Amino acid sequence: MQVKVVIGTIAFMLVMIILGVAALFEPAELAEKTDALLGRQIEKGAALFSASCVECHGVEGKAQKCVDFAGEEKGCVGLPLNHAPLLCGEPSERLLQVGWESSKAHFINQTIAAGRTGTLMPVWSESFGGPLGDHEVEQLTNFVLNWGEDPALCGEDVVVEIVEWPESWEDLPEGDAANGPDLYQSNGCNACHGDPAGDPALAVVGPWLGNIGNDAGDRVPGQSAEQYIYESILNPDAFIAAECPNGPCAEPSVMRKDYGNVLSEQDMADLIAYYLTLQSE
Amino acid sequence: MATFYDQVREMGLKQATIAKTDEVVERMTSGLNTNDIRSALRGDAPRRPNPRLRPHADGFWFHIRPSFYHNEVTRIYPTFRLGWLSTFMLVWETITGIFLMIFYTPRPGTAYSDIWNILTNVPLGELMRDLHRLGAEIMVLVVALHMLRTFITGSYKYPRQFTWLTGMLLLVLTLVLSFSGYLLPWDQLAYWAVTVAVSAVEASPPADIVGKNLNLIVRGAPTFGPGGLLRWYLLHVLVLPLLAGVFFFVHYYKVVLHGHSLPPGREKIGEDTAKRVPKTDRTYFIPDLFTSELMWTALATLLLIVGALWFYSAPLESQANPLDTPLHVVAPWYLAWSQGWLKLADKVLIAFIFIPALAVAFFVMPYIEVGKSRRYADRRVGLSVSMLFIAFMLVSNWMGSPEYRVESSPDQEVFQELLPQEGHSIMLSVPYEALELGTFGPGEEVPGNPELTVALEEFEAAMNRHSCNVNGDRWKDECKPILDDEGNVERYANTFAAEAMPDAEAQLVIEQVQHNMKQLTLQARAEDPESGDALVDTNKIAFRHIDSRYEVE
Repeated sequence: MQVKVVIGTIAFMLVMIILGVAALFEPAELAEKTDALLGRQIEKGAALFSASCVECHGVEGKAQKCVDFAGEEKGCVGLPLNHAPLLCGEPSERLLQVGWESSKAHFINQTIAAGRTGTLMPVWSESFGGPLGDHEVEQLTNFVLNWGEDPALCGEDVVVEIVEWPESWEDLPEGDAANGPDLYQSNGCNACHGDPAGDPALAVVGPWLGNIGNDAGDRVPGQSAEQYIYESILNPDAFIAAECPNGPCAEPSVMRKDYGNVLSEQDMADLIAYYLTLQSE
Repeated sequence: MATFYDQVREMGLKQATIAKTDEVVERMTSGLNTNDIRSALRGDAPRRPNPRLRPHADGFWFHIRPSFYHNEVTRIYPTFRLGWLSTFMLVWETITGIFLMIFYTPRPGTAYSDIWNILTNVPLGELMRDLHRLGAEIMVLVVALHMLRTFITGSYKYPRQFTWLTGMLLLVLTLVLSFSGYLLPWDQLAYWAVTVAVSAVEASPPADIVGKNLNLIVRGAPTFGPGGLLRWYLLHVLVLPLLAGVFFFVHYYKVVLHGHSLPPGREKIGEDTAKRVPKTDRTYFIPDLFTSELMWTALATLLLIVGALWFYSAPLESQANPLDTPLHVVAPWYLAWSQGWLKLADKVLIAFIFIPALAVAFFVMPYIEVGKSRRYADRRVGLSVSMLFIAFMLVSNWMGSPEYRVESSPDQEVFQELLPQEGHSIMLSVPYEALELGTFGPGEEVPGNPELTVALEEFEAAMNRHSCNVNGDRWKDECKPILDDEGNVERYANTFAAEAMPDAEAQLVIEQVQHNMKQLTLQARAEDPESGDALVDTNKIAFRHIDSRYEVE
């Protein structure tokens, strides 16, 4: 009798002590589990991204190194996502440009869910007739946002040093326009400027370049067409074209400013030669 | 009667308060005052008339409990406390279940995230979920053992046949209760286990009338969706608990009515003296059995909480995806026998003839088996049959387990062992920091990195089970080509696997994909030793985020 009471009392007290200790550690435990849940969503998002998104946005989300279903490299038609103007700051530059008033996460989520009219970005969410569940769209969103957590992309002390180029285009080697289309694709120009040989409507962010061979010489008085193109690639803010697909072009330009680090001299020469051949009128 | 005020004037505040407290205690216990409780706890003999019988006569909670038991049935043998424990588990599941209900909505879009919310946002929510799930599995076990005990001690015999029948009903209800809760988290495990288990319903003959409509009733639509989830939820939280509650009271009423049967050797054959307990053989409910039950309640609670905190974790896989069938779908262990049987015969035969016939046989068994003796020595045939049946069930369960399954291709089996789509993964359990970037072979020793080295040893072991040699290593003797009818090599096999990779090459590649996430790629290649053609050339990719905590699972 007394043994039973003692055992029961001790067991009851142990239950209370264990629950108390567990409760003590619970806030930290919950925080870790919340992080773990986000981590696992990002992992699932990564799997979805490599299955469905790398074809247009590139394996690193930089609109470079795009691979098709068979693993063959191809031109990128998507915008860069692993990209400071999209991901850094709340609101980020991109949100300000498009006048988005809700959060960055919501912007990315909605863009994936509903696609983007007038571009190749399709609808992904089941709610709009796409193939993915809403939870999968959320996983992808978390995966894209995770690039923005990288201090190397959005850290305060990140300064992208741009290689100095000569003022004038004239010292460049001889350009070969035949390499142009490949460079145009592999550097992601088409993501914003569309297909110069195709429908101008596919240029969604920057001006369509199908007639740049004619226009380049007229943009800045006293500047040759070659010099204008050369300068526009290296320093997009030097001259802002008047008309972009969605109204007047934004100022400062939303074009990436680091092509000076990406292109070789030969690439630059080839691109200039190629652009000069683009004459639709 | 004097008011409290009068009493204070008469006796003073202290005495009046004591008297009032005593009165309140006596009312609450329907007859025991504080002194009676003290004396009961001390183990003193009761005063006359015995106040300890009054709660049984006047109180609600104790009126269904007998006021005394035969000494012989209060020890561990012959009941092993299994009936009491079943009741305890039923109450336990109700309490933890109500807690979980507060945080759960039965809709496919929210059910799964509600479970994650319980895990990440509700204080002690994971503990509650683990307790509920662990409790459900233990309850199945306890109820089954209770039935087994009743059979072995012959307690189902006259006059307790109906008690047995309601007990069988409660066993079935326990299984269905446990299984109906399986679907509610709406993860891959739930969705596919339930989908496979109810697929037999669709085959119910005639399939285009009965099967089709039965399927619609069970799933709420041709496949599981919002309607099906709501149905199973209502079954789980409303219909089945109500039925279980009702039949529990019928069952227990009959137990009390007939008394607990004494151990088989205590009575003359054919006699039932459970209700005629001599004064000298009585153990009174208050205080002995009541304190005993309180002690067992505290102990069982302690064991369950320790188990759920440190030894058990309720599984939760990815959100249900009707388009993606996981590689090896298995029923929960307590229904694995049925999956085992499905490998033996046609599912219509199993689900609509064999299982119902078996159930009916169990229900009516005490009305057919009318041998008078409960003694073990007189029931050799019955006990032997029951032991054979248990053996049969264990083998059936093994046949339904992942151990006994249809093998996939050898490379997929290796991937499944190391980087499965769901559940515990050897590779992902390596801590993030220990996942060094680079390319590693199976069995490679990585200096200063025991965690990765152990995982690579597992990699080598898995490759050894599913291939004839790995990365140009010695060709194992037991590995041999299997020829088809025309004498051509159809496949290779070794001791462990019906299909093995000849001349296999394998490696693990670890890359950084985001600043806080790595990608693990397992690659397997196998060449036909004769033609040099690639037989296998596959890889399996998984991602590992720095925070995802696979190592603590």
